[in-house]
Amino acid sequence: MTLSTMLSTMSAGMLRSFAVFTLTLLGSLPLGMVVALLKKSRFGLVRAIINVYISVIRGTPLMLQLLVWYFGPFYLLGINIGDWRFPALILGFVLNYAAYFAEIYRGGIESIPVGQYEAAEVLGYSRTQTFMRIILPQVVKRIMPSVTNEVITLVKDTSLAFTLAYQEVFSLAKQISASQTSFMPFLIAGVFYFVANYVVEFAMSRIEKALDYYK
Amino acid sequence: MILEMNNISKRFGSNEVLKDISFNVDKGEVVSIIGPSGSGKSTLLRCATFLETIDGGEIVYMGKRAAHTDASGNAVYVDHKELRQFRSYCGLVFQQFNLFPHYSILKNLIDAPMHVQGRSKVEAEATAMDLLGKMGIADKADAYPYQLSGGQQQRVAIARALAMKPEILFFDEPTSALDPELTGEVLKVIRRLADEHMTMVVVTHEMPFAKAVSNRVLFMDGGVVVEQGDPISVFENPQEERTKQFLRVFER
Repeated sequence: MTLSTMLSTMSAGMLRSFAVFTLTLLGSLPLGMVVALLKKSRFGLVRAIINVYISVIRGTPLMLQLLVWYFGPFYLLGINIGDWRFPALILGFVLNYAAYFAEIYRGGIESIPVGQYEAAEVLGYSRTQTFMRIILPQVVKRIMPSVTNEVITLVKDTSLAFTLAYQEVFSLAKQISASQTSFMPFLIAGVFYFVANYVVEFAMSRIEKALDYYK
Repeated sequence: MILEMNNISKRFGSNEVLKDISFNVDKGEVVSIIGPSGSGKSTLLRCATFLETIDGGEIVYMGKRAAHTDASGNAVYVDHKELRQFRSYCGLVFQQFNLFPHYSILKNLIDAPMHVQGRSKVEAEATAMDLLGKMGIADKADAYPYQLSGGQQQRVAIARALAMKPEILFFDEPTSALDPELTGEVLKVIRRLADEHMTMVVVTHEMPFAKAVSNRVLFMDGGVVVEQGDPISVFENPQEERTKQFLRVFER
């Protein structure tokens, strides 16, 4: 197999890895905010559910969670959903990352001085306005470094999609390497992850710079 | 009468911070509240500006009741919507300024008038620039709070409160976080507002300032108003032993 056929075979895997990455971020970034806000709910039951969710997600391997989402409906509930592989994969990733993002958001929200809330309250801002106009923009700036870390981890975690036999770039690398007795596929996969993360780092540092206009 | 606070009580747990305090402010009046820390001065301001809820008593703004004690002895407030109306009567300047760091100075001054009071951008900006001019910092309109000195930040905070056109402005130790050389510029601004007959209540440790600017001085200690009167009588001829003791500390 020539290098170019190897590359073209693996590029399909790269696209699939990219799909998992993008869909996970699109789902988990907003969902994490919902979770973070629910964690501050005035209803004890809601807070308890959220706490259990976050500790289970953080306390078990993502690989295991993916298996549970895929096989759970059949083995645990006896339901046969049909071809549920890709939705289960994305569900697993989104719910996992949302838990981590929720904790980052919560830390950011709690780091905003109480004086900001009080100033907004005295000026007559509603609770929603206070959050959207005063608190959230400051939270975004503060959490950027932690979010960057999570996003970089996600790039590499997409390789866990192989658990559900999803042919992302790393599973393809393993297959081609075994069939061709070549180390090259692993190098290609390595370069792919590195370049992807380089782009992430670059993009995030641009965003951080754009937010540098105030302290 | 702009503000009447009648028989206000406030507890934090078992700690009674305000004990049956009554206190009125007339239109155009400047009232200074002095007293040792922990005497309840700040809590009184925070109750008046609805940052804290009272446990008993009555709060009346412009003849309209915002809170009162019901038959069962609990303090009840008007509903959410009405409370916003009451909030618009009062402005508060904090010890720590509490400017919004992500907004420019101009945006700090126009955001609430536009998005809370629904004023037009043109109108809000005109008011804001006028106020910044009065505060002597018109050239800072495009700067961000972190680029300003403490004294400038506090003047912005005063302008931000005034931009809402409140009936009464409260100051919670407005110069306590400032270096001594920056205190003067903030006090000068407050003094000028007094000359324009802005209704103000100032919690302060600046005795010469309180004496020079106020129409009335309240001395608070242990959650009660120990003594009140015109500044000359309170400062030069205090009747209560506790007041004399407190003022002696400042004479040294």
